[in-house]
This record gives sequence, structure tokens and C-alpha cells, in this order.
Amino acid sequence: MIKRFLAKYTAVIRLTWIQALEYKANSLVGTFAIVSGVFIEYLLWKRIFLTRGISEINGFTFEDLMVYIFLSLVVGQLKSSWVTSLEMITAIREGELNKYLIRPISFFTYHFMLFIGYNSLFYLVYFFMIAGMVIFFPAWAFPSFLNIIGFLGTLIISIYLSYTVYFVMVCFAFWFGEVRALIIAYNLANMVLSGQMVPLRFFPESVLKVLQYTPLPYLVDLPVSIATGNLPIDQWGTKTLQSLFWSVAMTFLGLIVYRRGIQKYEGFGG
Amino acid sequence: MVKNLKLFWAFFSNSLTRDMEFKANFIGMLFVDSVYYGSHFLFFSVIFNYVDSLLEFTKDDVTLFLIITFMMDTVYMLFIAENLGKLNRMIVKGDLDFVLMKPVNSQFFSSFRYVNSYAVVSIFLLTGLLGYASHTMGKVIPLENIVFFGYSFILGVCIFYSVDFIIASLAFWFRDFSMSGWFSHEIMKFSMRPDTIYSGFLRKTLFTIIPMALVSSVPARIFIYGPEARYLLLQTIVAICFLCAVRIIWVRGLARYESASS
Repeated sequence: MIKRFLAKYTAVIRLTWIQALEYKANSLVGTFAIVSGVFIEYLLWKRIFLTRGISEINGFTFEDLMVYIFLSLVVGQLKSSWVTSLEMITAIREGELNKYLIRPISFFTYHFMLFIGYNSLFYLVYFFMIAGMVIFFPAWAFPSFLNIIGFLGTLIISIYLSYTVYFVMVCFAFWFGEVRALIIAYNLANMVLSGQMVPLRFFPESVLKVLQYTPLPYLVDLPVSIATGNLPIDQWGTKTLQSLFWSVAMTFLGLIVYRRGIQKYEGFGG
Repeated sequence: MVKNLKLFWAFFSNSLTRDMEFKANFIGMLFVDSVYYGSHFLFFSVIFNYVDSLLEFTKDDVTLFLIITFMMDTVYMLFIAENLGKLNRMIVKGDLDFVLMKPVNSQFFSSFRYVNSYAVVSIFLLTGLLGYASHTMGKVIPLENIVFFGYSFILGVCIFYSVDFIIASLAFWFRDFSMSGWFSHEIMKFSMRPDTIYSGFLRKTLFTIIPMALVSSVPARIFIYGPEARYLLLQTIVAICFLCAVRIIWVRGLARYESASS
């Protein structure tokens, strides 16, 4: 059964991977997005460090901050889903979901594989970018091999958790039809609130208090803090467990909302 | 000109009717805008926890700069965004044929056919917010600033449109450039920061070849500090050059267009 499950869904990843390879320009634009994003933040923070004449802000030197922002942008892009989530909404709205109901394929898992498949080219390109940084500037990130393992582990959790959050939002399409606005708003807010543009510890205490009750800190800040050595090793376990808790909770929530939604689904079109 | 204005009014009425059929989406897009504005304000409020000013741009100035940037973005969303987003698909699928067959300027039709009517509400809100913010900051904005700001703002929209249109038109050469929207968004990010953070060669580039600093920063400067001839002149020249470039690229692109088979 597990063998059949793996064969079915790895085939989906493989097909999407081939499709993704056809659009190599995506990875070029993605790389440009990372480089230009880091560059703009570099200029902004350089100005701040120069204006104040300081060498450290909140425990971050200028180099630390740039590495944090670079890795945040990479993780932020790997966990963000524009294409897959918008496709899922269309499937619900236009009745394409019918095919998942009459075939032995899960809407949740199938689109998760698509999500991984679409981003696969980015995984490859960003791997080389990070590897290049580690080779040329070894002191900037990953102080030990354990940090690499911790980063990869929490990155995988972050990608899954991010997908489950999207899935819950997508399922609201069963009731409202058009929820693209919700996805776009979430993506825009996420850029700042998950720590993609500025480390979370720079935020005011009042904002942090609210954020700690959401899954947002586990999407970008946790993997990047582990990679940069900003999170003490004794806190890794607790934080990872919390992110796993959120992943399980969001998976169950998604499945509950999906089951309720299916009862409302009228299957027009398809 | 009059014909095009009448045509645009017809486009607007049609788009408004379409948008009103999806009222939830209409409200949803206003929600998206507010999240977008809120996240940028939060970002800069974090930045200004650590610094008092970015050269001559104080915290209040950056707040006004952000509101003007949002206004620019909203005007762009109102008139152009929806249309340029569809251009690549029209070129790839050959739907551009239907535009070329019409007795109307094809560039005008491709640029303004669909209007995001919800943006009208955002523009009113942002204009009110700009006035309110200026008032509460105790800034007295002379009429002269407002008049020249209006002129500079229109030039900024023209430059914004030109850059995005040129990027979208690359689909004529690349056959399929579905990433044009993302690419142009990444270029436009340079216009979302006050020009004071740019220096040296980059600053010169952003004021000329890739004129992102002329999109929002210069109108904001004129609104806050008053008109400066060198900025207005530069903005006028660059806007004219880019609008001419858009026209040339569109005509050359059409010459390469292979219809439905392309």
C-alpha cells in the first residue's frame, strides 16, 4: 500500500519536475528576486548602520543581518505558494475537483506534490546559492554541521506547515467561491510577519506577543535562526516540537474544513 | 483623443459591471490593499525604531512617501495592471489577433481594456490619508507643491507603465514570458524605498536607465520639500524617452508576432 502510494505521488512530482524544467526562466527570475531583495535591504541597513555609527543592532552585526535576510528570502520563496494554491481555488470553483472525488487520488496530497514539484527547480538553484555562500564565506552561517541538519529539518517542516496553512485557506473557496484575495493578502502579510524582510526579534514586543500564538514564526524565522546560529541549541527541540504541533494541528484543521466543504460542494463544471 | 477617452469610459463601465457581479472579491481586494499598506508601515516602523532618519527623509517624510507610493501603485492597478498581466497569454495563445482586428489603436486597447474598479475606492482613501497625515504631522503643504506633485505623479505613472509594458512586451521575443509580472515586480521594488538609500552609480542608474527613483521618490520629494527644477526636468525627459521606447518596442514586437501559431 505504501509502495503504491509512493509510486503514485512520486510520479506526480516527476511530471511537475519535468514541467518546471521547461520554464528555466522562472529560476532566473527567482534568483534575481533573491539578489535584488538582499541588495535593497543591504542598502537600507547600510544606511542605518552608517547613520547611527554602530556595529551591532539587537545582537546582529551588519554581516549577520545580511546573511539572515538572504536565507530568509530563500526560505520565504521555497515555502510560498502562488501557483498551486490559486490552481486549487480554481479547481474548487470551476468543478475540476470532481476528478479527485471519483479517482483514488487525494486532493491534499496531489497538490502537495505539485507544490514540491513546481518549487523543485528553486530547490536546486538555491541549494547552489547557499552552498556557494558557505564555501566562499564559511564564517557567515552554519557554524557547525548540526546547524545544517537543523536547518534542513526545520525547512522541511516549514514547507509542509506552509502548505497546510494554504490548504485551510483554499478550502474556504467551498463557501465563498473566490478566495484569491485571502491568499494574496496572506502572502503579502507573510513577507513581513514571518521575518522574511527583517528578523522577528526586531519587532515590537506587542507584535511578537501576538505572533507567538500563530504558526508564522516557524515558517522562516526558525530555520534561518538555526542556520545562522542565532537560536541557542537547547531551544531547538522545543521550537521544533512546536512547529510539528502546528503542522499536525493545521493538517487536521485542513481535513476538517475540507470534509465540511465537500458537503457544500456542488460540482458545477469540471 | 476624444475617441479614446470615450472608449476608455466604455471600458470602465464594463469593468465596473463585471466587478459588481463579484462583490466579495471587490471587498477582498480592498482587504488585500489594506494588508499590503499595513505590512509596509509595520516594516518601516521597525526600521525607525533603530534610526531617526534616512538622510533627509525623516519618519514623517517616509510615511508620506509610503502613502504616495501606494497611490502610485493603486493608480497603476486601476488602469494598467490587469491588462499587462494578460499580454503574455494573448501573445502566446494568439488572442492578440482579436485586438489587432479592431479599428482602434492596439497599444491603447491592450493597455487599458480592463479596469480594476475597486482601486477607485483605494485612491480616495489614500488621498484622504495623505491629507490627514500631512495635517497631523503639522506640515503645511503649499498649493505650489500640490500642483507640481500632480504633474510629477502623472510622469511617475507614465514611467511605471513604460517599464512594465517594455518588460511585458519581451514576450514577443521570448515567445513565452509568463514570469514578466514577477520580474517587473522585482524591478519595481527599487521604487518602494526612499531614494536616499541609493548612492553613486546605482543612484544615477535609478534616476535614468532604470528610472525607479523617478516613480515615487521624486513625486514624494516635490510634495514634501517643494518643486525642484532639476528633478522635474529629468522626470519629464525620462518619461518622454520611455513612452517613445514603449511605442517603438510595441511596433517592432507586432512585426515579430506570428498570430495564433506563435
